[in-house]
Parts: sequence; C-alpha cells; structure tokens
Amino acid sequence: MRITLTVNDAAYPLEVEPRRVLADALRDDCGLTGTHLGCEQGVCGACTVLVDGEAVRSCLMLAVQCDGVPIRTVEGLTGPDGQPHPLQRAFSAERGLQCGFCTPGFLMLAAGALDHDLSENEVADLVRSNLCRCTGYEPIRRAITRAAHAHQNGQDGRHRSV
Amino acid sequence: MDGWLRREDERLLTGAGRFVADLRVPACLDAVFVRSEVAHGVLREADCSAAREVPGVAGAWSAADLPDLPPMPLGEPAREWPALVEDRVRYPGEALAVVLGDDRYHAEDGAARVRTRIDPLPAVVTAQESAADTVRLFDGLSNVALRGEAGSPIDGEVWERAAVVVESDYRQQLLLPSPMECRTILCVPGGDRLTVWSGHQAPHRLRQDLAGLLDRPEESIRVVVPDTGGAFGSKSAVFPEFIVVAWLAVLLGRPVRWVEDRRESLLVATRGRGQDQHVRLAADAEGRLLAYELTVEADVGAYPHLGVAFPMQTAWMATGPYTTPKVHATVRSLLTNTMITYPYRGAGRPEATSPLERTMDVLARRLGLDPAELRRRNLIPPEAFPYRTPTGRTYDSGDHHAALDLALRTLGYDGWRAEQARRRADPDAFPIGIGLSCYVERSGGERGSLHEYVGVEAGDDGTVTARCGAASSGQSHATVFPALVAETLGVEPARVRLVEGDTDELPGGVGSFGSRSAQIDGAGLQHAAGLLIEEARERAARLWDLPVEETSWSDGAVHPVRGSAAMGLSELVKRTGPLRIDERYEADMAFPFGAHAAVVEVDPELGTVRVLQVVAVDDCGRALDPDVVRGQAFGSIVQGLGQALYEGVPFGDDGLPLLDGGLLDYLLPTYAEIPPIELGETHTPTPRTPLGAKGAGETGCIGTPPAIVNAVADALRLAHPERLQMPLTPDVVWRAAA
Repeated sequence: MRITLTVNDAAYPLEVEPRRVLADALRDDCGLTGTHLGCEQGVCGACTVLVDGEAVRSCLMLAVQCDGVPIRTVEGLTGPDGQPHPLQRAFSAERGLQCGFCTPGFLMLAAGALDHDLSENEVADLVRSNLCRCTGYEPIRRAITRAAHAHQNGQDGRHRSV
Repeated sequence: MDGWLRREDERLLTGAGRFVADLRVPACLDAVFVRSEVAHGVLREADCSAAREVPGVAGAWSAADLPDLPPMPLGEPAREWPALVEDRVRYPGEALAVVLGDDRYHAEDGAARVRTRIDPLPAVVTAQESAADTVRLFDGLSNVALRGEAGSPIDGEVWERAAVVVESDYRQQLLLPSPMECRTILCVPGGDRLTVWSGHQAPHRLRQDLAGLLDRPEESIRVVVPDTGGAFGSKSAVFPEFIVVAWLAVLLGRPVRWVEDRRESLLVATRGRGQDQHVRLAADAEGRLLAYELTVEADVGAYPHLGVAFPMQTAWMATGPYTTPKVHATVRSLLTNTMITYPYRGAGRPEATSPLERTMDVLARRLGLDPAELRRRNLIPPEAFPYRTPTGRTYDSGDHHAALDLALRTLGYDGWRAEQARRRADPDAFPIGIGLSCYVERSGGERGSLHEYVGVEAGDDGTVTARCGAASSGQSHATVFPALVAETLGVEPARVRLVEGDTDELPGGVGSFGSRSAQIDGAGLQHAAGLLIEEARERAARLWDLPVEETSWSDGAVHPVRGSAAMGLSELVKRTGPLRIDERYEADMAFPFGAHAAVVEVDPELGTVRVLQVVAVDDCGRALDPDVVRGQAFGSIVQGLGQALYEGVPFGDDGLPLLDGGLLDYLLPTYAEIPPIELGETHTPTPRTPLGAKGAGETGCIGTPPAIVNAVADALRLAHPERLQMPLTPDVVWRAAA
C-alpha cells in the first residue's frame, strides 16, 4: 500500500505491506532507528512513539494505520534550534539511563504527557508503563518529575506541545 | 560537559545511539531460525526446499545442507553442540534450520515453510531427574557433566558434638538475564576481511572464537561493539546462531545479521542460576559457627559448556563472610533439556550467599539469638585480612561489622523490631518481617583472566587517548575511564577520550564481565598513565639535559624542579615524537562485601508480599564515580528483587518452559514493584592495586534476594522455611503460611 508517514514534521512517502508494523516502518523505511524494539508484544514500551499526540507501542500498530497522522519520535524531541528537550536534560541530570536502549520509549511516553500538569501519581503511572533493566526506575521517575516541574514553572520556554 | 552528565548521554537521548540493529549495511540479509518446539527428540526431517521458493528469501539451510558448519567451541568431543541440530534436539528452541531473507518479514515467511519432523523423547528439566540417568541426553553417556568440590570433607564427629545443626534445602531458580536489547550479530565480509558487529562483552574473545571456527587468522576479523543494550553476563560468549550467521556471510560473500527477538530470547538465551542445594550448618551453644556443608546439584542445560563449571564459583564462595573453621562444598553439574546456564549478574555468588544467609536466620531462631547478633559473632574481623577461607579463597580486605552496623542503623532496625512486636500483639495487623543478609562478592575474574590490555597515548594536539580491552554495555566507561586518566595526568577530562570495543583499534583485550572493568582496567589505566608520566619526564630530562630526578610532573606538564619552565604533553610530543604506552596489566581478584536488609509486610491470606524497605550497604573499595556505582547498585537490587519475588522459568510436563506469554509470563520488575531503597557505602580499598577499586554492580543480585526471603520467613515466623522457595509468588507464600 502507498502511504505517507509524517514523522517529526517530515513527510515519508512509502510503499508498505499492510502487515508492516509502525516500528519497522519508522526504523527501516524512514531510517529513524532511535525507536527501539525490546519485545514486539507491547509489554516493554521501548518502541513508544507519539501518534497524533498519544503515546503508542509502535510494535502493536500497523504503519498503514498511521497514514497522514502526525508521528513524533525521539529524533524529533530536540528543538528546531538544536536545544535539547527538558526531558532529555532531565534524564541525563538524574541518571535516568545506563545502556540507553529503553530510553527513547520512556522519553516519548513522558513527552506525550507533559502538556499538562503531572501529579506524582501520574508520573508513577507513566514510569510503571515501560520496562528498564538497568536503572531500577527511580532515576527515571526523578527525571520525569524534574522535567514536569520545569514545564509547570514555565522554565521550559522551548517546550512545544507534541 | 555540554550539560550532559555522561558522554554517552547525548546520543542515547536523541535517538542517535547506534545499536547493532540500527546499523544500515546495503544488501544485508536477515537471519531467522526455525526452532524446535519440543524439548528433546530425534530430528527426522528438516526440509527447506519450500522455504527457498518464498519471495524475498535468499536461502535456507538445515544442518544437512551445511556439512562443514563447525560446532560450538569449548565443548567435549563426545558431547558436541552443533550450531544447527543434526539428529537430536536437546533443548526447546534449538535451531533446526536458518532462513535468510532480504528483510525479516520475508525470512520469517520462509521459516514458516520449512518442514520439520521430530520424534519426541522424554525430557528432563530438573537436576534430580537428570541424575537418575534414566533419560540420557547423550546415548551411552551419563548426564553428569562435572563433579567438583571446595574445602575438605567434615568429620561426622563435628556434627554430633555441635549444640545445633540446621539442615535445609533450597532452590536457586533459573533466571533470564533479560537485557532490554537481545543478542545481536552483523557480519560484513569485504575483501579478505570479515567485520563483525555485535552487542558483546568480550570482543577479543569473540574474534578469537570466530577465527577458530572459520579457520582463518584472527587479524582477518574485526569485531566492533557499538552501543550495547545491557548484557548482565549474557553476552560474553559465541552462540550457535553467531556461528551460522558468520559462516553464511563468508559463504555467500554478503552481509548477514541476526537480531534476536524477545520470543527467541525467552527460549534460547542463556539462563542464570539453576541449582538445587542442600546445606548443613553447625554451631555451638553461643552461636559460633563450627561447620558448614553445601551440596549443589546444578541443572546446567543441554550441552557441556562454560556454564558447567560455573557452580564451582558457588563452592569456592561457600564460606561467605564468616569465620566458620570447616567448610565443604560439593558440586555436580547435570545436563538438562533446556538452553544452557551461563553467568548472569552475580554468577555463582548469589547461589553461595542465599543458602548460607537463609540458614543463618534459621540458626538464629533455633538458638533464640537475634539474627544480627548471630552474624556479628561470626563475621570475619577486619584484622583477620588477608583471610584464607576453607574453600580456597583469600579475601583481600573487609570490614563486615561496619557494613552490618551501617545497614542496621540506616534501616532503623530496633524501631522495626518494636513495630513487629506491636503488630504481633494486634490480631488485625498484617505481620511484618525483617531480613538480613551479609555477603562476600568476588570481582576481577579467575586466574587466567585477571589481566587486561590498557594504553594511554598523548597526541600532539593536546588530546589524550585511553585504550582498554573492556566493553561497555551501559556502565559509562566512556565517561568514567577518561575522568580517571585525566585525574592521574592532571589534565582536563575533556581532553581525554576512550577507545574500547574495537579489535582493530586495540592490540588485545579480555572484556567486561565478573565486575572486572573498574578493578582491572581502571587500575591498569591509572598504571599506564603513570608510565606515561615517567616517560614524559625522562624525555624532558634529556631535552633539558637534567637528571630525571630534577624533573617533576603536575597539571599535565613536566617541570624542572628548579626554574619555571614547563612542557605540556603536546609540546613534548611535537619535539620528541609519538608518546604511547601499551601495557598488559594484571592484578589479583578482590572481594567486595556488604550487608543488605529488608522489611516486608505479608498478607498471609492472600500470600502477597509488600516490601516496605530495602537497605543495601555495599563496599567496593574506591568507587571511581560514586554516582555511577550507585546507579548500578540500585538497578542490581531491583534485579535481586526480581529473583526473590517474581522471576522464574516454570516447565510443563513436556519440558517446555511455560513462557508462551513472553514478558507477560516472565515477570521483570516494573516501577510498580519498587520499594523504598536506601543505599549506604563503606570504603575498604583493595590493597591488591594502587587504585583500590573493587568490582561493583552485581551486589544487589547477591545480597538482596536472601534479605527479602528472610524477611518473609520472619514475618510468617516459619521455624523451617523450606517451603519458601524463590520466586515468592502469592501461591508459594500462601502455602508456606498455611
């Protein structure tokens, strides 16, 4: 099928089989390999991207379902001026990553929720949605909380709604 | 540095990391393996002809189609492990055939068309069944793959005279290391060279193994380890799939890759642990330990391999942190119809710590002693180091009492005991329990792998290049090692960069496993930087026509002792030529240690365990980067929590692991399961290197599980807690409480 994926504001006209999952289309057809596959069954969340602003497991969605729908991946987190997203800074500052394989999924999961004020429980719900085998999660919780606070306190001039 | 705490961070946070599956090589073929759906059986047919007709399939092969395909290395000739099954399947998921496609989809289409037929045989998955030898994995040969012992047999008289003898059985269940990135290999032939990209812990070992398998010179192979998504011990070998991929890449003259998926990983990635244990522990009436005996029956999987000998690590470490005068450990490794066991974070030390620490709690109850007091009476005192154990280890240094005291203080031990007493008097309150665990870890490696290649080179542009044979899979080497070299040389860390994980860039290397990188590579890099300073001073002395004693080194430059002239490294290189140190550094093993404590609340009617608090006091000597060490300690504790409460590989009667639901069946801890965890540290440097660093990062898997299990046993006031076997699922706890 002929579709156009719109990823990080760029258009990717593609010819894909209907069975092709979004993660593979992003990685192999669009060359955006920042989205990682950790389980291909929707459990680990490493492949989380934003589709129309909502966090989805891109291993459980077909590419053809996303024709013409805006998609944002980790490659699109950095601002157009090259400035890192507050989440990226916060993950580094709080040591929210070690091997970094699950990280893009956590980043996009949080990015999708950062457009409103996040309570402690909401942050906890986000963190418990994905798997990480290195950090033990607490640093990830701190990182998302830090970025959320920066956002709420308006220190986040660069943050865009995604 | 640019607002990023680690050098690894920017690329990993922006999607610019490069894991093997991210590498794009033109005309690369994807390998998909056709896998056995039975645990044990005779292969009657593996017909790939239909697969070859599938569009997008470049080829399909069974073992019969590749008669020269070499078997796994390091095995026994009589019990060979073929890279593709030849006539006998010995573990579920064992590869029957391989299909190469121009992408993964087409290769999987082809794999679905491979016709296989297996006549099933009875499967054995427990050590006990295996030991009976009624079902043999290799016809005519016993399933016993190894027997070993550490220490000397203990006289019967010792047990008879002891005031108390505790006997118990424990199971160290099979675990899946489960790095978030599964195994990967990409082989790219070009000219007379083969470039191999792999998420791997030991690139030089992989190169050596592949050179042997492919019968070509080592120099003709380059192994590169790009970003690696965790390993935890599971990525340090060559695997059957690696052999097939490398073989086909060379045969076809085309790039071939295998990117293991989670479903495969659950079936055929190496497993950790896997021991049935029996212990006897004797003490006098005051609680002084007299003797300890550990019997290990290890289920090591289908083929003799490195994992067969790994239970010996448990035997050597059986003494633990106590002054027990007589310790004897025996090991039998038994072949079973499952993928092999292999090092997983802790690798042999969790299996040593858990039975001893659980039995210490039983002993304390038997003696009417507080478990902390029982441990205090037996811990090796600081002045006894170096301490030679009855099981043949010589511990370098330690202050176990300090670690235990800090753990108890941090926990608020007395307060929790008071709360426990209060709840015991309240029939409506859930019981709580407090569990302790003191451990000794071994880091650095065993004889034969205690060396490493290290190097430091000064450039004429003021930069410094550090090189070492380690390979990071998330441990921050690119940040930590340059900082150490910079500190030694007295230069800005930004001037130092690290080269590792590329066999073309390094004269040699051993790799990263057994918590060796900080201890061996770190000490080696410090040593190499010191040699570079000496060489710089000698060169400067010659330039200045001074005795070398009249030069000194500070802030990255040579100075004459008298006078104000100084010469930095770049100027020295410009004037005297390349300045590069390459060293083979060797140091002895070291013994990190610590004390962990846990408080749990148990609902005896539901069997649920709520962990209220974990305290981990670890001592790894000098921590090169304390935040990095804490990060690894924390993650390690969560993996230990996984072993204690959630993770395991149950088998059906047919010998197949009951993991069809993937990660919905194999329960890795999520954030929902993380209790409050507090870390504490003591610092007892190893005297075995000038740096003083011991290994770090494995201790949560070693110390935490028995602390949690002891806490549950304490909550339930179990006099003999054998029914509490990990993982402590609600079912296990409910039955134990009944």
